[in-house]
Amino acid sequence: MQDTIIENEKKKPDGKNVIDDGVEQGLAKLTPERISSVINQVLTKEVGPRFKAYVETCMRCGLCADACSIFLSNDRGPEFSPAAKVKQTILEMIKKKGNVSKKVLKDAVRISYTECNVCKRCSMYCPFGIDIAYMMLQVRRICHKLEITPLYIQDTVNSHSATMNQMWVKEDEWIDTLQWQEEDAREEFEDLRIPLDKDGADIMYSVIAPEPKFQAGLIYQTAVIMHAAGIDWTMPSFPGWDNSNMAMYTGDFEISGRIAQAHYEAAARLHVKKIVMGECGHAFRSVYDVGNRWVGWSMPPVNLIHAIDFYHDLLTSGRIKVKEKYKKTVTLHDPCNVSRGRGLHNKAREMVNILCESFIEMTPNREHNYCCGAGGGVINCGPPWKGTRMVNNREKKEQLERTGAEVLIAPCHNCHSGLEDIVEHYGIGMEVKFFGDIIYEVMEKTVYKKNNLKEG
Amino acid sequence: MKYKRFVWLAALIFILSVFNVYSQEILVVDNTIFNRPQRPAAVFDHDDHNEKAQLEEDCSICHHVYDENNVRIEDESSEDSLCSECHSLKKIPENSIPLRMAFHNRCKQCHFKSDKGPVLCGECHIRK
Amino acid sequence: MHSFINFIMGPMVWISFLIFFCGVIFKLFQVIKQVNEKENFIYTYLSVKHSFRSIFAWMIPFLPVSTRKSPVFYTVSYLFHLLLFIVPIFLLSHVALFEESMQWSWMTFNDTVADTLTLIVIFSLIFFMIRRVVVPEVKFLTRLSDFFFILIVALPFVTGFLAYHQFFAYKWMVITHVISGELMLILIPFTRFSHMFMAPLTRAYTGSEFGNVRHAKDW
Repeated sequence: MQDTIIENEKKKPDGKNVIDDGVEQGLAKLTPERISSVINQVLTKEVGPRFKAYVETCMRCGLCADACSIFLSNDRGPEFSPAAKVKQTILEMIKKKGNVSKKVLKDAVRISYTECNVCKRCSMYCPFGIDIAYMMLQVRRICHKLEITPLYIQDTVNSHSATMNQMWVKEDEWIDTLQWQEEDAREEFEDLRIPLDKDGADIMYSVIAPEPKFQAGLIYQTAVIMHAAGIDWTMPSFPGWDNSNMAMYTGDFEISGRIAQAHYEAAARLHVKKIVMGECGHAFRSVYDVGNRWVGWSMPPVNLIHAIDFYHDLLTSGRIKVKEKYKKTVTLHDPCNVSRGRGLHNKAREMVNILCESFIEMTPNREHNYCCGAGGGVINCGPPWKGTRMVNNREKKEQLERTGAEVLIAPCHNCHSGLEDIVEHYGIGMEVKFFGDIIYEVMEKTVYKKNNLKEG
Repeated sequence: MKYKRFVWLAALIFILSVFNVYSQEILVVDNTIFNRPQRPAAVFDHDDHNEKAQLEEDCSICHHVYDENNVRIEDESSEDSLCSECHSLKKIPENSIPLRMAFHNRCKQCHFKSDKGPVLCGECHIRK
Repeated sequence: MHSFINFIMGPMVWISFLIFFCGVIFKLFQVIKQVNEKENFIYTYLSVKHSFRSIFAWMIPFLPVSTRKSPVFYTVSYLFHLLLFIVPIFLLSHVALFEESMQWSWMTFNDTVADTLTLIVIFSLIFFMIRRVVVPEVKFLTRLSDFFFILIVALPFVTGFLAYHQFFAYKWMVITHVISGELMLILIPFTRFSHMFMAPLTRAYTGSEFGNVRHAKDW
């Protein structure tokens, strides 16, 4: 018994052997009629000419393969190329007119949820610009409608649905956490506040639910930065404070839309001028690019910026001053959703140079950076899939190792967690940090006065 | 069985040699007026052609004469002049049909009409 | 026989072009109609500037990172696609035939040059075919139809080459050449050859999303 367990652990994890209870139980309930009717409903009613063009235009040249870090991590296994993922899922469903076996569906879940980070890197390597991430999200949409979503990520969606936040954080817990952080921070700054529901504030600051749940210190740091920079800010005490959105990744677009809507409605209710969101990538994608569209806002209805944009502004305008530059060698991971998703990579670099003494560039970088390997909801599929995720992240690990840096800045929660897993699993001596961590460490802890700037 | 294969081979050799028949002495159209002609000069045996085509004395089909208004003069013919005397290499106001086109049209139009004679490029421009 | 040749080299050429152009227009019209009905959000994000920015960037060899990752493939591919249009359009025999029916002509390649370029096209197609068998990730994606498409493109070039050199069965080479050329033209709008006009559209949309919304490059 003990021997077989050890043997299993030694073996390279294979996604095909993973047992995910959510998927298994979902599959058990399915009938062939339901399978074909759901698939056909999505393929004929939901998707349109864009999907059709992608299916019909792909020449199967395989050039997308080199774009995919999961393909590269698996020794260029042909079934891991982006187009191969489409072939094994969507094309199979189209070919069989929706009458696919449960095995195909099980593969579709594995491929679309755990072997694709929907990072869109491949659409930069396809000569036709085919958006394979979009195709994978349609596979997930089908899986969602068939109720065969991986268990752990489905739980986060259930939480979104019931509480409008990802982590089952209750309203009193949320307020309590903020007040606790405020209290702690007042030891550094006497009159520091985390203003709740301040009507007409300049800025609404929003976070993802894991912050109050596990990483409350990040809210502390932000409060210090906000206070020192003299920002008129607020956080909502009511649902809408969480900008994260896992429903966007499970294919539950209805809930995804509700989440984005609640976020913007919170901003509208507080009459703020601008939303600043914490260092998170997928949440940015949700409110900037995806959720808003589902609701019907072509672009964010309220001015919205990512933390990189905000901190960059604070540092270049002199609202936050650097006391002493950060000493350790740092490298920067460009999160897909804010570099490929918003072109913030150059601002991030400028910031690193303001904050740190020695910066080592990672290659590839900027729009071409590899995904952290956790993105697109992959990490949220939870423990059953962690083994294969680590295998799929080998290329990322090698990229990190090549830098030889001591500190890895990752301005995204998902990336942060994924990179920490890589660092731990492969034993790379690297510290993973947010920009907030670095700024908090090197900033001058004085409160910015407006006249300072005017005199200067 | 072996006998059959031999027959096929002989037939093949025969067919291939038939294709090569043309590579003997052949008469061709004078193409020296073209600068650096791209194709071999077109195969054309004047007397043999006219005999086969039963043109007899009707020379003016090819050796035609046109007046200033571009109307063909029925009773006149132009056996003594070269095609290139009227048809220049490039299109000119006095004659809208350049030489190459004149040659091609002259041959092909009749051949198509009579369902006889060569009509494809390589049937006249034969490589030796 | 002459009337058959006359038909395939005369009316059938125009019929093929007509089917090709009408097919392309019909297909584009269909796309626009479906976009209007189902996905008119596409117009919201489509930006002329970023569409052309992306298309032009991808037309410059070795500007996109992808092209630098697979230099051999892209060299062959750029060359192949360029020659696929240029060789037939500027081929002396084609222009001569066109001139005879339309009294209009344009510059042409020297026959020897055209002959060499044709060989490049044929070798490109052989390269594509070998790649489909040899490179594992491409092999995995390849279906029988992919070879069929290579064959359709290869036919007019191979038969054209053989006919030009008059190696054997000249007449049948020319006839196959003409018919296969016309077949390819007719198939373009209705098969995956449609990437000829669909790829600029998908590229334009991705280019717009990247440039206009995400403020990033897509090459």
